[in-house]
Amino acid sequence: MSYTLIVADVRQGVFGEANLDSLGIASLLGKEVYLVVPEGAYEMNEKMADAVVKVKAAEEVFLNPLNMGNILEQVFGAHGKPGHLVFCHSSSGAESAAYAAGLFGFPVITDVSGYDRERGVFLKSYYSDKIFGEFKAAGDGPCVITVRSGSFRESVLEKSFTARVEAIENVEIAAGRTFIEYVEEEKSDIDITKAEFLLSVGRGVGNQDEIPSYEELAGTLKAVLSGSRPVIDKLWLPKARQVGTSGKTVKPKVYLAMGISGAFQHIAGMKDSDCIIAVNKDAEAPIFQYAHYGIVADIHKVRDKLKEIAKA
Amino acid sequence: MNILVFTKRVAATQEEELRILDEGKTVDLSKVPFKVNDWDNYAIEEAVRIVEKSGGAVTAVSIGDAESDEVLRRAIAMGAKDGLLIETGDALHDPAARSGMIRNFIQKENVPFDVIFTGVQSEDDQFGCVGGILAAILKLPYSSMVVGIDSVEAGHMVVRRELEGGLQERVKISTPCVLSIQSGINEPRYVSIMGIRKASKVERKVFKAGGYSEGADAKIEVVKWTYPPKKGGAMMLSGELDDMCGQLLGILKEKGVYQ
Amino acid sequence: MLEQLATRVTTCIQCGRCTGSCPESGKTPFNVRMLVRKKQFRSVIDEAVPWYCTSCGACTIRCPRDVKPSEVIIELRSKMVEDGDIPVALQKALENTFVQKNPWGKSRNKRAAWMEKLDFEIPHVSETESKRLLFVCCIQAYDPRCMVIPANVAKILKAGGMEFGILGEEEACCGNEIRRIGESGLFEELQEENLAAFKEHGVKEIVTLSPHCMNVLKKEYGDTGIKISHYTEIVAEMIANGAITPRGSYGKKVIYHDPCFLGKQNGIFDEPRAILTSVKDLELLEFSRSREVSLCCEGGGGRMFFEVEATYQRNAEVRILDAAEKEAEVIATACPFCVMTLEDPATEKGLVVREISEILTEVL
Repeated sequence: MSYTLIVADVRQGVFGEANLDSLGIASLLGKEVYLVVPEGAYEMNEKMADAVVKVKAAEEVFLNPLNMGNILEQVFGAHGKPGHLVFCHSSSGAESAAYAAGLFGFPVITDVSGYDRERGVFLKSYYSDKIFGEFKAAGDGPCVITVRSGSFRESVLEKSFTARVEAIENVEIAAGRTFIEYVEEEKSDIDITKAEFLLSVGRGVGNQDEIPSYEELAGTLKAVLSGSRPVIDKLWLPKARQVGTSGKTVKPKVYLAMGISGAFQHIAGMKDSDCIIAVNKDAEAPIFQYAHYGIVADIHKVRDKLKEIAKA
Repeated sequence: MNILVFTKRVAATQEEELRILDEGKTVDLSKVPFKVNDWDNYAIEEAVRIVEKSGGAVTAVSIGDAESDEVLRRAIAMGAKDGLLIETGDALHDPAARSGMIRNFIQKENVPFDVIFTGVQSEDDQFGCVGGILAAILKLPYSSMVVGIDSVEAGHMVVRRELEGGLQERVKISTPCVLSIQSGINEPRYVSIMGIRKASKVERKVFKAGGYSEGADAKIEVVKWTYPPKKGGAMMLSGELDDMCGQLLGILKEKGVYQ
Repeated sequence: MLEQLATRVTTCIQCGRCTGSCPESGKTPFNVRMLVRKKQFRSVIDEAVPWYCTSCGACTIRCPRDVKPSEVIIELRSKMVEDGDIPVALQKALENTFVQKNPWGKSRNKRAAWMEKLDFEIPHVSETESKRLLFVCCIQAYDPRCMVIPANVAKILKAGGMEFGILGEEEACCGNEIRRIGESGLFEELQEENLAAFKEHGVKEIVTLSPHCMNVLKKEYGDTGIKISHYTEIVAEMIANGAITPRGSYGKKVIYHDPCFLGKQNGIFDEPRAILTSVKDLELLEFSRSREVSLCCEGGGGRMFFEVEATYQRNAEVRILDAAEKEAEVIATACPFCVMTLEDPATEKGLVVREISEILTEVL
């Protein structure tokens, strides 16, 4: 009987929440769930899979696409090839997924955010979420997928029993790529993850000249200014102010997003905020699907008006 | 060091409203302008900086229709020595098919390289897989999400990979290898139209994709294109600007973050 | 490059009249005489400096030796553009113009979106008898503050019984700012594209909204055989011959700010004033520095698209203080860039900035 094999994402001793999305889609796929993890002292609910394969290897050895090839070979050797091989759509998950697809000649569909069980098609984003493609693998062989964070965690089914445990004792460590160290990005005086109220600006700001005026608004509202990737890439705000998967994950009481359309990488970094307010001129902007409150307007006008009312 | 960099011409859809035609069979791109894939632009800049510093040459390669010559000219204007076009008629959605074609091309044409750069992903399909699959089928070490190249030595490089939450990992990777370059690794130079015109004088070689498709069949298929699923959605504040901003401040007060 | 634009750095005698007239020299690290000097001797130039120039043209007008210092600046910038070493914000503006034909990178398909504000249709220029084109251009097509300008001008022209059409999505950026940023290759592409469209549709006459567009179409597109005017010229004539009569009253003190590209560079001083004085109860005031010596708002020469490093009192603010001193209530101007730069400090001081067409639409 075929099974679903999930490769866990464990970083700095934490079994990340994104793994729940892999477990969620595995429930929808409806087959036995095998979860392969690096050995470690982290916490995880072992009732979410049928079997857990613990690999005697440090997380940084485990999350290396070259070593992952050997780990997967050992699992396939013991259990045959899975129906689906599932990774998180994270930095390391996506990296290993592509490499494994090449190594074993499997089809691969990345950044999957939906699954139609009846038709067996996966939903994948195109053009920054403006369009989605329904994809399926040709043939009946194994298929690699990476899942978008936040897409499937509600489908996780807790089982009545604890997963049986298997072990992989020896991993062949590839010489081609070796881990040296973790590097924390330079610390700045402001920690946006600690802020109660974030005013976050995005591409819609349009121009670097506008930034000081948003700083001023943040000052008036007693909010901390943060930004989405485009703003950071253009060096309009320091890297430490970036919200999103490649920046910080924030959970303030209020997240006021101005001119942020809502790329999922950004959404993943702020969607758990208590209250999300989005201002965008484009009524179709994806961020409105995640916001609690929305205003469709020119952000500069809203900025100026807020300053005016707040000062009065 | 000889660096092979892949560059793709993509639809610039950021500001466009896209429409699906033929009952989900096509996405209408007929009125959408095209540009170089942002990630590839960073990859070319990084490659050019490396050879400017330590010698060697950058070769830019594109898979696409004849119009993709545009991104090769651009790469040459940035400092690439050569541009090679693998000309295809249809868009290849499947990264496995693209990677397979690249492998065949490199092997059949004996394209020399020490390192291969790709962008982490392309703006249109966002697959982010070509580099990884290519590394595996060429049996080379791979690293994606490269945000810094700390050193280039004989036989290896030290690179930094971007992980989540502001964390990076530094890894040593032997060459030859494949690296997928993340946006923000550098500030790509401006490419002037004059520069592109001068670059046009450098001959770009064109190869027909048909000769490299053996064993590079698509492994996935698009069943249908759809619009994004609608989620719950926000409660939209309405009225004049004054009203909306007043309501917004009211919400801030209610949440206790603003007095 | 056109003959009339050729610079003559070797003839410079370093008299300093350029610096004396320059709105940037003295208050920022920019010194136009020094840059000409350095160009003469091919000395190293601090790469941040040439970007301060607003292309107002005052230096070129004042130069007794026909050195054309403002063109010297463009040459300096061109070299930096070719080296790929320019401020990131300008880089973005140029890349956007390359892809979408406007510096803001908005969709070219939405270039005629401003027409949604109208209750009548404007035909494509090819469908008009007059082949008269209303050249809208980027800031008026996309900026929410400036989109009212084409709508208002269209209403005014229609009221005056004038037939005209537009190019819609076929129109590309005029390239005035692009050439001044130093991207001559991109400028040539825009010029070729627009000229091809003018030719294809048999355009005989062009009415521009921005003095920047008028300037480039008139002086830098070569001999097109097309009559180019600024809308204020047309409207002033309509008022003079009675084709339109402002009927409402505008009982306010209005001070007129001469845009550099309309006034000192193209000699259009009287038409905007004629429009304003035709309005009932409107009291027209004058700045001390007006007409040829009007103080530049600092919106030209690429300065719309990026922020210079130095902190200093901006000319727009100086202008607003001057206006306040004259007890003006409204600052009127005839250029979208001036509207954008003046409006910020004006709002702070409780003054109002209006493009002339806005005032006229109110009283029509």
